[in-house]
Amino acid sequence: MNVSFTVNGRPTAVDVPPKMVLLDILRDVLGLTGAKPGCEIGSCGACTVIVDGEAQNSCTFPASRLEGTAVLTIEGLAAPDGTPNDLQQAFVEHGAVQCGYCIPGIIMAGEALLGHNPTPNRTEIREALAGNLCRCTGYVQIVDAIEATARQRAGVEEAV
Amino acid sequence: MSSSLKYVGNPQAQAVDALDKVMGRARYVGDMTLSGMLHVKLLTSRVPHARIMKLDVSPALAVPGVVAAITSADFAENGAFGWPIKDAFVLAHEKVRYVGDPIAAVAAETEAAATAGVRAILLELEELPVVSDPAHALDEDAPLVPLVPPKDEGNLCESLIVRNGDPDPILAACETVLDETYHFQHQEHAYLEMEGALAIPAPDGSVTIFANDQSPHINRGNAAGILGLAEENVRVIQPPVGGSFGGKDDVLYQFTAVTARLALITHRPVRLLLTREESLQTSYKREAMSLHLQIGMDGNGRLRAGKANLLADSGAYASMTPLSSWRASMHALGTYRYEAATVDTQAVYTNNGYSGAFRGFGNTQSAAASEIAIDELAHLAGIDPIEFRLKNMLRTGDTAFTGNVIAHESGLEKCLLWVREQSDWADKRAQYAAQDDGELARGIGVACYFHGTGLGGEGLDYARATLEINRDHTITLQSGLTDYGQGSRTVFTLVAAETLGVSPERIFMLRPDTQTALETGPTVASRASIVGGNAVRVAAEKISHLLHLAAADLLACAAERLLWQDEQFIGPSESPVSLDAVIDHAFEMGLQLSVQGYWQIPEIHWDFETGSGTPYFTYSFGAQVADVTVNRQAGAVRVNKIWAAHDAGQIIYPNGAKGQLLGGIAQGLGYALTEGFSYKNGYPEKKNLNQYKLPTALDVPEIETTFVKTTFPNGPFGAKNLAEPVMIATTPAIANAVFQAVGVRCRQFPISAAWLREQLLG
Ligand code: FES
Ligand code: FES
Repeated sequence: MNVSFTVNGRPTAVDVPPKMVLLDILRDVLGLTGAKPGCEIGSCGACTVIVDGEAQNSCTFPASRLEGTAVLTIEGLAAPDGTPNDLQQAFVEHGAVQCGYCIPGIIMAGEALLGHNPTPNRTEIREALAGNLCRCTGYVQIVDAIEATARQRAGVEEAV
Repeated sequence: MSSSLKYVGNPQAQAVDALDKVMGRARYVGDMTLSGMLHVKLLTSRVPHARIMKLDVSPALAVPGVVAAITSADFAENGAFGWPIKDAFVLAHEKVRYVGDPIAAVAAETEAAATAGVRAILLELEELPVVSDPAHALDEDAPLVPLVPPKDEGNLCESLIVRNGDPDPILAACETVLDETYHFQHQEHAYLEMEGALAIPAPDGSVTIFANDQSPHINRGNAAGILGLAEENVRVIQPPVGGSFGGKDDVLYQFTAVTARLALITHRPVRLLLTREESLQTSYKREAMSLHLQIGMDGNGRLRAGKANLLADSGAYASMTPLSSWRASMHALGTYRYEAATVDTQAVYTNNGYSGAFRGFGNTQSAAASEIAIDELAHLAGIDPIEFRLKNMLRTGDTAFTGNVIAHESGLEKCLLWVREQSDWADKRAQYAAQDDGELARGIGVACYFHGTGLGGEGLDYARATLEINRDHTITLQSGLTDYGQGSRTVFTLVAAETLGVSPERIFMLRPDTQTALETGPTVASRASIVGGNAVRVAAEKISHLLHLAAADLLACAAERLLWQDEQFIGPSESPVSLDAVIDHAFEMGLQLSVQGYWQIPEIHWDFETGSGTPYFTYSFGAQVADVTVNRQAGAVRVNKIWAAHDAGQIIYPNGAKGQLLGGIAQGLGYALTEGFSYKNGYPEKKNLNQYKLPTALDVPEIETTFVKTTFPNGPFGAKNLAEPVMIATTPAIANAVFQAVGVRCRQFPISAAWLREQLLG
């Protein structure tokens, strides 16, 4: 089937089987390998991207639901000149990255959370990450990074 | 060391490769595709034990899209490999020995075609009786798992002893003797990235493989042997690795050889990526183990003697189980003083998957068992668990139960005191002891550990590193020790920067590549920081010497009269010259600014025959406290908070060290509560991550950590190791907290809610 949607703001059209999942479309058709396979049954969150503002496991998101959506992936967060966004930067600064395999998915889950709730507390951050497994970090520094970014964004907005 | 350190120990230091990872541009092996690349699928065994009566891959070749198919016959010596026991095959030979055992491999234009090819393979198996209970693996009538018994004793894979005096008469005289057995299931590494290898053939018959392995040089040596190639014709490059924890060695050696062979046959790039289901079945696990401990104490709660009997389930192949069983034996009675102690360990073959290296490497089980036992003894003695440990623990200069002296400063007491203070231990302990029998019960528990540094008696412990200053004034650093997320690239970069007195930004550390990095032994046993770090330090000292030579020549003075400050040399004339100018001058002089560093842990000796000697050059220590809530109705355990102190000497990369500690605790928490990879008659019971439950962000609590400073003269800037030992106190601390909460002793792991509920409701 033909589907049209946007990826990181760019209009995109693909011709794929209706059951093909977004993860495979991103990785195999569009060459965007930031989202990772970790289980392919919706249990690990390594494949998380944002579709119309919501965090989604792209491994279980079929092409048939894609028409007209706006997809945001880890590749779409940086500024046009390649500067990482504040959340990405915070992950680096807080030591929240070890092997890095879960990180694109976790950052997208974090962005989706901050989109809905700009000032989450630590419990709310943990709840938002419940579907994203990380085997390396124990999550604490990840929560630190998201919390710090939320504070910083709130502070900046107040100042404006 | 001192506060004069600028880069080492700097809390602002950041991981050198984190930016690529947060941007989503780090390319793991599964992110690499080449034009013309073939996809591989494996035929694996569906039964735990069978003889291969017929295996014919030719029908697969008739499937559209299939380009090649191979079996063990396509390798030298049928692809036999394995160290220290060569009992495994790249693809099964004569027999299959576990569910998931790879039998054949098919390369095709698409994954779907490869899968169809696998289905077409003609395979006839004659099922054999299965041995699944390690306690019966040595029975007279147990089915034999290995093709050739390595010890001439059926399924015996390894036996090990410790002999330090005679504990029997002392135990007979002891006021109290604890006599209990502790059981641990297999644990899955569950690195988030599954196994993968991409092999690229060259016209000259050589092959380059990108593999997410842990020890590329060992992988290369192994692959060259079974491919029948010279080592220089096999190049192994390690891309970013999505976690390993000990789990990406043997299994990657298999896939490296399989993809390389298929690439050489087809003259096309070939990639194999496992799915999670395939990975859970085929990859090796932490060995299941039972530990029978007998520990005696006098009427004052002073430990006197101990005996340990360990039984490790190596599964279908030996892999690293002989070595992890050795490490388990060296730690089986914990970090305490005894007058006499013995350990008797057996590792046995079964048809339960296969076991290999996993973070903690045997001490995970030993520390858990012995720390619960110590808690039981403290309870019997009526002494506070932390008091009891302080009273009996090893201090600097004491003799461990293995008979060797703790030669370097031990930070154990400091760790115990820190967790006691920070956790409000005394108050919480009293408060929880006084609570009524409501639905929710709180408890607080402690555990501590020692962990031998490096390979110890397992082998020669050395590392190499190279440093090169380039024409553009940048510095290239390389080591064969790999970074699979634990931060060693950052650690090495900081050590080089500190030694040279240059900013880390000037240094770029390459990823391991067997073509360019020097052979440097395995990246295991948390040895990268100390051994690898020292090799980097040695190299940096050598290059610093060369720079001084060039600067002395440039400034026409003796090298000793030079001052090195802020990346400038200052001579007697007091006008500084920049490092860049000195580098340019060195090139003009014809000085090759390229050096190698080598460092080896001072040699120690363990006598395997007599079970005595010095198992490790030094130890690191630590302690943890866990605060839990048990729901009596559900049997569920919630960990509310953990306090963790670890003695790692000087910390080199603080953010990374903290991350190791936190991540280790999360793995220990999973090991305590949910992570049992169990087998029923050899059939694995968990298929994917919806069944094998890893701790989530909701399960891992807030954790307070500290690193206790001790002096260790042999580490780079005084650093010891930390990646492995930090996970091993978590499981027993949780179990001991559960005991305080509800009075149930956990001696079987994981502590499932169903089991605990049964104990509570009767
Ligand atoms: S790969 Fe999508 S949730 Fe695991
Ligand atoms: S950083 Fe390795 S899985 Fe999260």
